Order: sequence, then C-alpha cells, then structure tokens
Amino acid sequence: MKTLLIVDDEFEICDFLKTFFEEREYQVRTATSGQAALREIAESRPNVVLLDIQMPVMDGMAVLKKIKQDFPGVKVIMVTAVETREKIEEAIRLGADNYITKPLSLEYLEKDVQEKISHLTSPA
Amino acid sequence: MPIRTSDPKKKIDYQKALRDFAQSMVHLRRPERLLKMITRFLERDLALVHMSLLVHDDLRDRFIFANSRGSRKVPVGLVRIDLDNPLIAWFRDRKGAEKGRDFLRLASVRKELTSRKSDAVLMRLKKTMEHLNAELAIPGYYKRTLEALLLFGRKKNGRPFTASQINFFQVLAQDCSMAIKTAEYHENLVRRNQELNRKVAEVEELRRKERATFYEVMRSLAQEIYAKDPSTFGHISQVEKLGLMTAREMGLALDEHRRDILSASLILHDVGKIGVPDHILQKPGGLDEGEWQIMKEHVEKGAGILAHLSDFREAAGIVRAHHENFNGTGYPRGLKGVEIPIEARIVSVVDAFHAIISTRVYRPSQSVAFAFEELKRCSGTQFDPEVVEAFIRGLKKELRKAGDRFSMVDFMGKPSHTGAL
Repeated sequence: MKTLLIVDDEFEICDFLKTFFEEREYQVRTATSGQAALREIAESRPNVVLLDIQMPVMDGMAVLKKIKQDFPGVKVIMVTAVETREKIEEAIRLGADNYITKPLSLEYLEKDVQEKISHLTSPA
Repeated sequence: MPIRTSDPKKKIDYQKALRDFAQSMVHLRRPERLLKMITRFLERDLALVHMSLLVHDDLRDRFIFANSRGSRKVPVGLVRIDLDNPLIAWFRDRKGAEKGRDFLRLASVRKELTSRKSDAVLMRLKKTMEHLNAELAIPGYYKRTLEALLLFGRKKNGRPFTASQINFFQVLAQDCSMAIKTAEYHENLVRRNQELNRKVAEVEELRRKERATFYEVMRSLAQEIYAKDPSTFGHISQVEKLGLMTAREMGLALDEHRRDILSASLILHDVGKIGVPDHILQKPGGLDEGEWQIMKEHVEKGAGILAHLSDFREAAGIVRAHHENFNGTGYPRGLKGVEIPIEARIVSVVDAFHAIISTRVYRPSQSVAFAFEELKRCSGTQFDPEVVEAFIRGLKKELRKAGDRFSMVDFMGKPSHTGAL
C-alpha cells in the first residue's frame, strides 16, 4: 500500500488532496500542524510527505529538518506558495526531495508522488 | 419559460436570472463578489458536488481558480492549469470559432476514448477533468481569447445536464469573461494612472532638487560678487528677504515658480558686475562719463548671463530692467511705468534702499528713516509709488514686530565680508 501524509494548516487543502490521492489508491493521512505531522510520521511512517512551509508555531522547514534527521527514508515534497530562491535552496540543503509551488499542477504532483514511491518500491 | 431543475419543487427562471446577471456584471468594476455569487448560485440550485470558475492569470499566463464551491471543491490557490494542459488547449485552439456553442462533457471524452484508446491527448483530457471533478466544462471568450472556464461537477442526483442548462451556462460564461475583462481594463487604467502620477511627482521632485541646488550655487556666486564691492553691507540674502516681503505686502499672487524667479532676480540683479573692471567697481568718489557707461553695462551683462540658464531665463528680463525708472528716465531702454516688470520695480526700490543704508564709499551710512525719506522723494519719478508704499509699510511692520531692541543691523544681518561688527 502506498502511504502518504499531507501537511497543511489549511484544512480544505488537506481534504482536497486526501480525496484526490485516495481515489488514486493511496492510503492518506493528514496533519494541520508541524507537531501533529511529526507525531503522524513517528506512528505511521508514510512513504511520502507533502509538506507546507508557512504554518503557525512550527513551520515546514523545521519539520523537514526533523524528518530528515529522525526518518531519513521518508520522502518529503515541499508544497508551498513560498517561491523565493533562498527558501528553495534552504529546503534542498535540508534534504527536501522536491519543491513544488502553489498553485500547482495536479498532473505533475501525481506524477512526482508516484515517482517517489516507485523509487522506494523498485528492487533496483 | 421556467425550466425544471433537478429538484422538481424548485424552478429557475433562466431568462430572468440571465438578464439580471448580465446587466449587473458588465458594469461592475470589481466583479469578484458577483462571480462568487454565480458559482454559489449554480452549485446550490443545481445541487452539484462541485462548481468552479477558472480565470486566466495574465501575469503568469496560466489559469487559476477564482472560486470553487461544493463538497468536491478545489481550494482556491492550490491548483493551476497550464496553457499546455489539454483542457485549456481544447478550447484555446478553437479560439471561440464556435462562440457560445462550445462545451465539453467528461462523458463524451470517455466515450470517444473507447474508440481511440491510445489517444494521448484524450487520455490527458480525461485525466484532467477527473482531477478537477469536472463533468462539464464551459468556456468563456473575450474577443476570441479564452478568459474563463466554468467547471461543473456532477449533479448529486446523478442526472445529466440538459441542453437548455448548458445553453444558459454558455451565456453566463461569456458574461463572466466580459465582466473580468472590464474590471481588468479598469484596474489597469487606475494602475497606469497611479504610475504616471508617481513618475510625474518623481520628476517634479528631481527638478525641484536640481533647482534648489542650482539656486544655492547661484546664491554663493552672487555673494562672491557682492563681497567684491567693498561698500556693500550685510548679506545678499537680506536683499532677497526685503524684496519678497514687498511682494507679499503688495498682495502679489506669485506661484512657487514666479517666487523663485523673483528671488533669483533679487539675488542676482548685480551679477553683471562680474564683467565690470575692479578699478571702476571699487573707485572711491564719482565715476567719469566713460566709466559710468561701462558701469551701466552691468544690467545687460547680467541679463546675458541669466538668459543661458533655463531655470532662470525669466529673471534675465527683470535683471535687465532693474535700473529703469518709473518715469522712463532709466537705463538701458527707458521703459516707463507698467512696461517695467513689477519684479524689476521691486528690485529697484530694494536695491536703492540697500544702497542708502549701506556704508558706501561715496556716502556715509544713513539711517532707515532717512532712507524712507529718500524713497518717498523719488516715488513716482524713479520708483513705482505703489512699491515704495508697500516697502515702507512692510518694513515698518517688521521693525515693530521685532520691538525696540531691534536694529537695522539685526534685520540686515552682519556684513559677511568684514567679519563681526
């Protein structure tokens, strides 16, 4: 089973992407804060995390750092409206596996998530 | 004629709704609320799982969601549709050729795919519509350009859209495009106007700074020339002060520019003395006829210098005329009365007053009262009586304001070229 965690402080976005990926046969969980995201990851070890940056209390960059420290096998795709060069470079430096800016192309997002999973499951 | 919707108890008079929408929309400068009303109205009244309005984003040349409603809505700001996406391409390529007739049903795409299984474009088209929960897509064109796309999710009761409903949506989509374009046009106009105003203000500010700098340079230059004449007293800017005071007292309505010109004329009226040899300028006692002729040339020389400076070109005429007399006996042209610019008539009085109270080589220092008497004596002959009157009245006011402790030295400033008194 392909597992996915969606992290966004906007409930509607979590909801939409959850339905979207569930219809494409993913097992999806959602979190609307950085702390909740880390709890979910510790518990369910998803294959891929879609991670927003701008969230109150604990932002996406802090979450990314923690994921890459504690769970290096989990793929993280940043999904954010922030598109400054500094943020992108920082995310890549912290180990983000991709950086997708909102508004995004659903076609590309689906393909990218699929790619991250197939890479994980391929025997290589 | 009212058309039945999915809910048999609810009827929509499409004709009326259409008329109302079209009328209010086209005149709207900010159509966002109305566009939202339309999506909400359609989603509710048709009982759809999803209803969205996609609009062209001019800045990035792509389509984004302006609004989305229903349980399967697409959050605004999350998804974009690029121009190469088959759903956009489908309508864009038609360029409104079948304007008002165009629509696309997911069911038709699926049906088409059964016979053309390997058609990559159709596959992507189907996928995109599925991604967006869109059973039906209706384009809105403005001048043959795709501006908006209405996306309709399936009806909750599972029934298909009727032909008259689709027809209604098509007209609505056209109106949406029109409203968006009108608003955009208005917005652009406002923005461009603001930009233009800002730029004009910037240029004006630059000009002002430039003029101020130039003015400062002129002022110090004038002071240099002024200081060369050992008989002058005080600072050149005091002459300016007295002249502006007189203009005020006369009630002259000078705008900023004319005030600057008057200031420049007051400061620079003797700038032509730069061309008068020192031995004439500094000669104690009277000048002979030849020397006097050379001395008189300073007005034309001064005007000549100023005529080359674009900002103070108008000051040239004033400087040239500052030794004209009110009765026509002055030089260089023998102008009379109002032929002499008012600014020149002011410079003439102020300059004479200044000469009287200054310690001139050929005359002992005179009191202010004596200077007033001299001005009055020459009023109507050498000077414009109105200017003399305003000057004396104004200066008396200034002196009264300052009280008993006030002396002319305080008012005129200390002579800068001889150090403290």
